[in-house]
Amino acid sequence: MHEVGIANGILEAVRKETEAHKPARAVKVGVRIGEMAGIDPQSLAFSFEVLVKGSDLEPLDLAIEPGVLDELEFAYLELEVP
Amino acid sequence: MTRVPMEGKVLNENDRAAAELRAEFARHGVFAVNLISSPGSGKTALLERTLESYDAGRRVAVLTGDIQTDADAARLARYGFPVRQITTAGACHLDARMIRRALDGWELAQIDLLFIENVGNLVCPTSYDLGEACKIVLLSVTEGEEKPLKYPGIFFKSELMLLTKIDLLPYVPFNIDVAEANARTIHPEIQIARLSCTTKQGLDEWLRWIDARKGGQ
Repeated sequence: MHEVGIANGILEAVRKETEAHKPARAVKVGVRIGEMAGIDPQSLAFSFEVLVKGSDLEPLDLAIEPGVLDELEFAYLELEVP
Repeated sequence: MTRVPMEGKVLNENDRAAAELRAEFARHGVFAVNLISSPGSGKTALLERTLESYDAGRRVAVLTGDIQTDADAARLARYGFPVRQITTAGACHLDARMIRRALDGWELAQIDLLFIENVGNLVCPTSYDLGEACKIVLLSVTEGEEKPLKYPGIFFKSELMLLTKIDLLPYVPFNIDVAEANARTIHPEIQIARLSCTTKQGLDEWLRWIDARKGGQ
């Protein structure tokens, strides 16, 4: 269940990135995960959902895209500018 | 709605800590090895036989990770080399910061070879770089030859696969050639060695592998 830690890392990075685009708020974050990364996408999605719920980032969507080999990288962040 | 590119690894924090460790290991000439396998594949037994075979002047140290208990450190401390237990209290893997903390107070310049025994788990430790020179995966013959296909990540990232408990081959339905072929399907360049910590068959080959790999770094 290291997906909780991974999800937490994603949220921390989203917070940091969003801060740089004030006063926008993050709507969706895209990550690329390869088959050799040792990450279960379903488990990550579940952990992500649980961590986002009730947090300052709610609502925030996670989009998981297939990556190459052991890739575990950010792809994009969608922001909503008020 | 605007979309901005976001770059970098998801495990950025861990990777940063790992990069620092790697630089520090390089500075002090420490060859660090990350041993990964499912629980009960024989990581601790391998380290016991390894430490037992080293003479007292060998500058080797061990960090051993488990969710609970310092049983492994107690087993390994008998050989007179520095050993520390990392208890993760629930975490299913070691991360670079745990290694950093565990090394506190050790004179790295006095260590040539550092074995890091990860928490028994074929999945989670795969994602966490510990600053090691190489990952080694153990697969015991009681586990089933399809493991490399079921858990490809760790076999893909490991430089060496050690097939352990080979003394049990006559008693278990394990096709060792299929296991090796499966590992090579995932990672064609993976090196493979067979060993038994009970009969010590293959032990010399393992010890030579470590020395050769350490020499080449």
